[in-house]
Amino acid sequence: MMLIAGTVPVKGLPLIEGRPVIEGENLVVDGYHIPCGQGTGAMISAALVTLGYLKLEAPQVVVAGDTGLGRGSRQIYEYLIGNVATISPEVMALHYCLPDMALMARLWESVRRCPRKVTMIADAGAMYAAKAAGLAPHFDIFTPDASEMAFLADPDATHPAYIAEHLFDTDVSQTPRLVAAAYRHKGAAMVLLVKGSTDYVVNEGDIVATVTEPNVPELEAIGGTGDTITGLVSALVYAGLEPHEAAIIAARSNRMAGQYAQATPATRVWQIISQFDAVFKQHLCQWSGVCCTKGGL
Amino acid sequence: MLLRHKKSSPRSDGLVLFEDVQDAMRGEKVLKKAGYAIKLVAPPPQLRRGCDLALGINLVERAGVERVLKDNEADYVEIVPVKPGSPPLLDIVSVTDFGRWLMVKAGNMKLSFAKESGIIVNTSGGGCPDIPYLHSELVGKRLDQAPRPRDIGFTLCALMLDRALEECLILNKEGGRQ
Repeated sequence: MMLIAGTVPVKGLPLIEGRPVIEGENLVVDGYHIPCGQGTGAMISAALVTLGYLKLEAPQVVVAGDTGLGRGSRQIYEYLIGNVATISPEVMALHYCLPDMALMARLWESVRRCPRKVTMIADAGAMYAAKAAGLAPHFDIFTPDASEMAFLADPDATHPAYIAEHLFDTDVSQTPRLVAAAYRHKGAAMVLLVKGSTDYVVNEGDIVATVTEPNVPELEAIGGTGDTITGLVSALVYAGLEPHEAAIIAARSNRMAGQYAQATPATRVWQIISQFDAVFKQHLCQWSGVCCTKGGL
Repeated sequence: MLLRHKKSSPRSDGLVLFEDVQDAMRGEKVLKKAGYAIKLVAPPPQLRRGCDLALGINLVERAGVERVLKDNEADYVEIVPVKPGSPPLLDIVSVTDFGRWLMVKAGNMKLSFAKESGIIVNTSGGGCPDIPYLHSELVGKRLDQAPRPRDIGFTLCALMLDRALEECLILNKEGGRQ
């Protein structure tokens, strides 16, 4: 099973779990409607579309409403701490939440009790918490953007707003240095997908690929296009690709979907997600080297 | 009144500094009443500014903490990271011109608006739970009519988005020129 957990910006939404379906611009989970906008909604939608194309089961999702106070985040942490060993997912992707180092440390202890290896993926607040709690090396994949890469490289930073140096996208030439620092300071997961004007895919400290085409700079302005990459890579790992291979294909797919959608800064993320099927149909077989048959790659 | 639910002991990576003990006690009272998991601590000598008591907070909750203190007229000196010598909040802003739209980036947060109408067309970046909420509250509104992220958000990401909005307001007033 693939498990996705994160907060959604719906006031008063209790913790819910279930298999999502897409209805128009919304996700429906356990009868509740969740916007497919920036954040966990976009991430789930991207994973759902990818798994659907590959004819794999939809992810199990655990979401709770949180508009910043942290209540929903704590509900998710506590739920996972109490249940992850029983759920025992093959892949667990953690997304938007209030970074809480103490709760993340407890969650990691629970994950360690799972009867089988859990492939751990984190982005957004969950990535901040994992890095700040010193747990980054236990994760399989992080998907930072360029400024978050500077955060991972800074051994003392507990949030991207407080870092020793800032990296603008025009400074992506500095990414290799920051990547090396992040691994040296144990601030990196096994695989990093650094999102930016150049996407870097890093496997255990070695940059194994860069992705620059197609070049769609407008994607940076569109809320949720980083989240879709995380959803893509999570689904592709669940489908059987190696993490670094999944990262490369996720980066390419997201860019291509942006090009297909003729993205502008005013484009909504669901318009990007709606292009994934067409992208996969045209490119996935060639990119992955193995073609879709009856589920999986 | 903001209500929070404490379930875990906080890890204090930020400090609220006060002028005196009385202010610190009052700050503790209003923050606890608002549900924040905070604790009174002695600030490191390097950070003392006439105060000998501080409140340990989760730094990511800075915006919400500041608002509760201000709403309750609880005086404080400043909020700082625990580690001495840590850099202050990022104060670097960059602008990208997409023709009909401008994108302003402050730290890890980005806000884009249409030059002609001044309408916010997108926000992106960030990883805290108030960011998708702010996205839904800001997108589609005119810059000068949009709520300020620092007023309705709670985290450092919200503060950075507020800085981006501030810059957008200036650029829009100048006619969308960089």
